[in-house]
Amino acid sequence: MNPIATFKAQTPTTFRASASIVGTLLTLVAASWLLSPSTDNYLVLAAGATIAIMGLSILTGGSGQVSIGNAGFMAIGAFTTAIIGTHNAHFFIVGSLLAGTAAGAISGVIIGLPATRLRGPYLAGMTLAFAYVMQPFIQSFGSLTGGSGGLYLNELTTPHWFASLVGDSDNLIAANARYQSALAVLVAGIALFFASNVMSSRLGRAMRLVRDDEVAAELVGVNLAKTRVLAFVISAAFAGLAGSLLTLIAASASPSTYGLALSIELLSLLVLGGMGSIGGAIIAGLLSAYSGQLVGKINSLFGVDPYSNVGANTKGIIFGVILIVMMLAAPTGLVGLAKKVTARLRVVAARRSARSLSHG
Amino acid sequence: MNFLTSHFMSDIFLGATNGVLYGLIALSLVIVWRATSILNFAQGAMAMFATYLGMTMTEHGLNFWLAFALAIVAGFAMGGVTERVLVRPLYKRPEINSIVVMVGFLGVLESAASAIWSSSPRVLVSPFSQNYFQHGNTTIDLSPFALFQIGAALAVMLGVGAIFQYTKIGLQLRASALAPEVARLLGVRVNRLLTFGWMLSSAAGVVAAVIITSSSSIFLTPSVMDGFFVFGFIAAAVGGLESPVGAIVSGLLIGLAQQFLLDYAPSGLSSFAPVVILVVALMIRPQGLFTTTKARRV
Repeated sequence: MNPIATFKAQTPTTFRASASIVGTLLTLVAASWLLSPSTDNYLVLAAGATIAIMGLSILTGGSGQVSIGNAGFMAIGAFTTAIIGTHNAHFFIVGSLLAGTAAGAISGVIIGLPATRLRGPYLAGMTLAFAYVMQPFIQSFGSLTGGSGGLYLNELTTPHWFASLVGDSDNLIAANARYQSALAVLVAGIALFFASNVMSSRLGRAMRLVRDDEVAAELVGVNLAKTRVLAFVISAAFAGLAGSLLTLIAASASPSTYGLALSIELLSLLVLGGMGSIGGAIIAGLLSAYSGQLVGKINSLFGVDPYSNVGANTKGIIFGVILIVMMLAAPTGLVGLAKKVTARLRVVAARRSARSLSHG
Repeated sequence: MNFLTSHFMSDIFLGATNGVLYGLIALSLVIVWRATSILNFAQGAMAMFATYLGMTMTEHGLNFWLAFALAIVAGFAMGGVTERVLVRPLYKRPEINSIVVMVGFLGVLESAASAIWSSSPRVLVSPFSQNYFQHGNTTIDLSPFALFQIGAALAVMLGVGAIFQYTKIGLQLRASALAPEVARLLGVRVNRLLTFGWMLSSAAGVVAAVIITSSSSIFLTPSVMDGFFVFGFIAAAVGGLESPVGAIVSGLLIGLAQQFLLDYAPSGLSSFAPVVILVVALMIRPQGLFTTTKARRV
């Protein structure tokens, strides 16, 4: 079975726009009422992971190219923002986010160009090599990037209007946390809107056609090379934005964050959520943010000391097992699984009503 | 100044030693690729895991050679089990599935190794000296240990070549890789041979991992094979993924290129070099530098 979700026909742009706006606002309102400032940090992590996974989803689910190197693009976005931030005390949030995104996109062109001629495992191997060399590459420019220690920025502080809006004017730590998570959710909302536009645009359809049938794509006039590179560029731009956002809010960037393990984690979460779907990316992002807590629960359930060798590696083992099991048993991810279950329930319900009709 | 002790020759020796190791890993990837059209992303991690088993044996007082042999046996077993359990369900699936499963297996093995043996570096001591040979009062950048590495790698390469070229099982392996249906009709137990291909590849990888990590400058850690796998993959890809000879030759070339870059290029460039080499080589010849026709000898 093909692991990639087929994308539904056109939904109107107005619907996508309003869905993104409503979704973002709902998340923000729910977050500011329900969550305490300490849990707001999870929202930031979830937003960052959702953006990165969405980018990977466009590449893998959309155009069928697998990347094990998106952590490398995240590192590029992260360090672009960090370098800007350390050199300018008063930097614009939007500007540094855009710079991180642009840096990701540019590196996506460089890594994506060979993708026009590489297939499947070759391409995946090349992105793996890219992710592997990224860490020493960043460290080798120690004067600029801070070497293996990385860079530290000033913390992102809330403007006064926001603090008074959320009613935390007297508690600046809480107000800052809320401001940071609101910013992260807002950026994720914009990114997801862009993603849904890409997926249902002419480019998105071209990507899926290239993925499913290259010959047919060429026959209807799709430029294979251009489409492949563009998928890479978009994916890398999303990764760059995610790295940039996480850096801005964590106020630090370290090369060791963006290693091979993160790339594998992104891929696991993508497969778990479901490739090529926006809902899948959101589920995966939330799972990523709360994975630490979930793993903690699992550790305590089995009586594993979280600071022991075993406890510290439960997460890695679980992520790897998820990748294997999902791919062998449910290649369409949680979203696909849910679709399958609802379709099955609908059939059962239809049968039941048919039976009651015939008996009635 | 003697030619053997010159700076240039020192780069050649160091580069060739690494290059032979890359070639061995590349060869092991090629065996699996030819047999099952799957790129084994977990190859380095499988070899690392078997090496840890061997290292544990030496910590319990077993001699290096016996532990080495046990690690190879563990490698054979892991290759077989992996093929039967993880890889077999993937044969008729899109290639994206096999990539994801093998990457997942890589993650599981590295985390499991950290869980069992911790991620702090361990030492595997080989019985060979790593002191460089002396030539008069200058040194040649070759040690008995480097010769052991090159010798062991060459022995495995020749052994694998001999199995493919001169044995019945090798002939059957080539047949089932080239035309599985016809081979099956002619009475070749294709499934068993695919398992054997994975066992052989995994064991070759273990030899590479043991001779890499028994160096006194490279410690055994769960991620020790990551870099070697990347270079091995690059060698295999540059050589064409299908060609064993291509894999070995490009392994050697990449080892040399890396050493010269380390020596003469700025550090940023030399760390990024593997990707550049791969991209440039594949842009020039996407099918690989050493693949000429569909029909191959080995």
